[in-house]
Amino acid sequence: MKSNLTRYLTLFLALVLTLTLAACGKTGDTGGPSKEGDKAGDIDISEFVTISHLSLGDKPSNGQYEAVKAEWDKYLKEKLNCALEVQYIGWTDYMTQYNLLLATGEGLDLINTASDWLEMWPNAQRGAFLELNDLLPKYAPITWETVPESSWAEVTFKGDIIAIPEDMYSQWINHGYMYRGDWAREIGITKPIRSWEEFQVYLQGVKDLYGDQGVIPFDIAGASNMKQLYDGWTISKSSLICIDPVPDGLAFGKSDDEWWEVRSRYYPLDDGTDLLLDFAKEMKEWGDAGYWREDVLNNTADSWVQFKAGLNGTRQHHTQTYVYAYKELEREIPGADLQFFPWCEESKNLTKMSITHGATAVGAKCKNPERALMVYDLIRNDETMYKLFNWGLEGVQYVINDKGQRDLPEGYITDQHSFSSNFWGGRMDKFELKYPNATMVDNWEEIYNNFESYAKPYRYGRFVFDKSPVESELAALSDVVNRHLPAICVGKAGDPVAAVEAFRRELKMAGYDKVLEEVQRQLTEFKNSL
Amino acid sequence: MQNNTNNEFVPNVDITKSQGSQKVIDKSQRLIQVIGVVFTGFISLLCILPFVLIISASFTEERSITLYGFSLIPRSVSLDAYNLILRNPRQVLGSYGVTIGMTLIGTMVGLFIIAMTGYALQRPDFPLRNAISFYIYFTTLFSGGLIPFYMMITQTLKLKDNYLAVLLPLLMSPWLIILMKNFLKSIPHSITESATIDGAGDFYIFLKIIFPTAKPALATVGLFLALTYWNEWYNSMLFLSSKVTYRPLQLFLYNTINEARYIRDSAAAANIPAIDIPMESMKMATAVIATGPIIFAYPFVQKYFIQGITVGAVKG
Repeated sequence: MKSNLTRYLTLFLALVLTLTLAACGKTGDTGGPSKEGDKAGDIDISEFVTISHLSLGDKPSNGQYEAVKAEWDKYLKEKLNCALEVQYIGWTDYMTQYNLLLATGEGLDLINTASDWLEMWPNAQRGAFLELNDLLPKYAPITWETVPESSWAEVTFKGDIIAIPEDMYSQWINHGYMYRGDWAREIGITKPIRSWEEFQVYLQGVKDLYGDQGVIPFDIAGASNMKQLYDGWTISKSSLICIDPVPDGLAFGKSDDEWWEVRSRYYPLDDGTDLLLDFAKEMKEWGDAGYWREDVLNNTADSWVQFKAGLNGTRQHHTQTYVYAYKELEREIPGADLQFFPWCEESKNLTKMSITHGATAVGAKCKNPERALMVYDLIRNDETMYKLFNWGLEGVQYVINDKGQRDLPEGYITDQHSFSSNFWGGRMDKFELKYPNATMVDNWEEIYNNFESYAKPYRYGRFVFDKSPVESELAALSDVVNRHLPAICVGKAGDPVAAVEAFRRELKMAGYDKVLEEVQRQLTEFKNSL
Repeated sequence: MQNNTNNEFVPNVDITKSQGSQKVIDKSQRLIQVIGVVFTGFISLLCILPFVLIISASFTEERSITLYGFSLIPRSVSLDAYNLILRNPRQVLGSYGVTIGMTLIGTMVGLFIIAMTGYALQRPDFPLRNAISFYIYFTTLFSGGLIPFYMMITQTLKLKDNYLAVLLPLLMSPWLIILMKNFLKSIPHSITESATIDGAGDFYIFLKIIFPTAKPALATVGLFLALTYWNEWYNSMLFLSSKVTYRPLQLFLYNTINEARYIRDSAAAANIPAIDIPMESMKMATAVIATGPIIFAYPFVQKYFIQGITVGAVKG
């Protein structure tokens, strides 16, 4: 509690100090009148304004949004003489809605954006965001000071800062296999699984032990999940890193040291390793051994529902899911002891998440960018505001239990009490991990620290791949990949050698080499521009 | 119609001729009838079964769906799916209200405008009919695209978060106008001419002569319009933001499912405790809620529908 207070005080003092400093440097160039008591530094906040925040997600319809809003509005009125409202975009066709709203830009102040899933760069190109270079030091001083130079570089478009990155929030979305610890022990696996070979032992063990009771060792479903297996293999067995802006995993960087060298994971590598063929053979073996259903390509079962029903031995997903899935499974199957084998563990090939997976921008037509940034600075750095905006009301949406964890209050009913502002453009570890979620797996810290110890920075956050020169090739390739890869991934494409050969032949015919050349050209250009 | 009457008459004629042949025909006719009943019965069963399956699945416990799959009779009954969708009854009722209101107003106004347009466009004495027909037809091939359309509605017309943004664009559909025009062509122009001679004005002719004669056409186009309005979600999604409390039913349901899927997939990421969401049965319950009322509209229009088809057949 005490450190809490100290931290809060420090932050507040820092705010005051920086504001005063900023005021010193800028005296005289704001002509606006400033009333006594209504100002912070020489910033004029005498006019009451309402700032909007564009969030993805559905507006809570249980009245909690209004309740929490009333509380933060009270706080904001006092601090910055303004109110804050969340403008929600529902999940239905959100990309269209998002881009249309930004195209008109009417009434948008703070905007949640992202380089990988919300078209931050294309929108920056269209001029949807305000340049923040001059505004940040004055109106969001703490953010300006704390975000390092290198992170600002990640959100700079043609020399202008167009957004604020969510750079101080750890989330690991590296995928892997979750498996049942109790079954693994029964099989005789005592150490955590750290390779595909060990994992195969587990699958075979589950098959032998529980196969006749209807348990499927790995109930995989859906083409995208199948293709993900090859992503996993690539990570585990090589040092390739995916160039995400290029679709369908068509282009990879050679390694972290030579990330600008484009390689293909569908062709044999420089050292002669034939990733795809090795993988196809292995998966054929898995498929033939019956680790998944015979009709796996048409399977639509929800593997997590099956898992919780005790009918599935493996779930493929990422770390962030795992840390919360552990306790969820314990509620369904006490003692199941869910374990996680992250694919990066075998080769230590792990890149950190792009810090622009979440970011906050200011709309180009924003009428009060100054106040908007001040509100942002407060959300991000002021504990009271942070808790209100992200978690809701203490005692209603959350409580801090005696272990210092963030927990659900007694009598919490999701329908009645849930609230979410979906602020994904500036969450902070200093608050999130200070009060870790009580539903997280107990050893989360160990898991995070392990990743942190060897993860490499993300290289392609600012690389914008211009698809137009190879648009038709990309479409053809996407078709080829989606026709061939899922079947190869579950060993249902017949003879692996022939299947891989046919796949490569079609890739070539669809113009794969041209695409690789184009990516290389653009990536070299990007590297030189740094 | 004519064919039917012929068939009915043949046996009657035969009765007077000989008893023996009547028996034969009776028998063969019964056979045909039996085959007919069995066949149509089978077909209608095929149509009804999926719907029964949907209703049953919507009442089935999610766990039993994952374990045993869908079945015609629920293995274990559960109201979870409906509970989840209807947890906020005011929201659902409001959405129903909006959709029903929109459907009624849209259909009535739209029908009237479309009928007028169609009628004017098919009158041989309207000099601009080809030019205007082309103008209307042109829009089915070329359009401004989504962004200009969006800007037009939100900036020029300032209809963001206004129900009119959903209602207006659907009032006139080129396809329905062309359909209406071709229907109305079958009413001889001489009727209009003779009415004019008797001193009737254009509007009077349209209301008192054309409108009643074109009932089957109106029913058909009306049903299409009503279905369009009932199923509308796209424009609502674009133009009615979360500031609108009651959004049309289809959008509301669609959002509910998407939201549920999102919550399930990322219960971890957000602040939300993982809850069990009956995805499969929820989808089915949504289908039941969405289709329920509009099904009752069919019987009312059906007789015009059949009439419309047969009227066409006679002329053809």
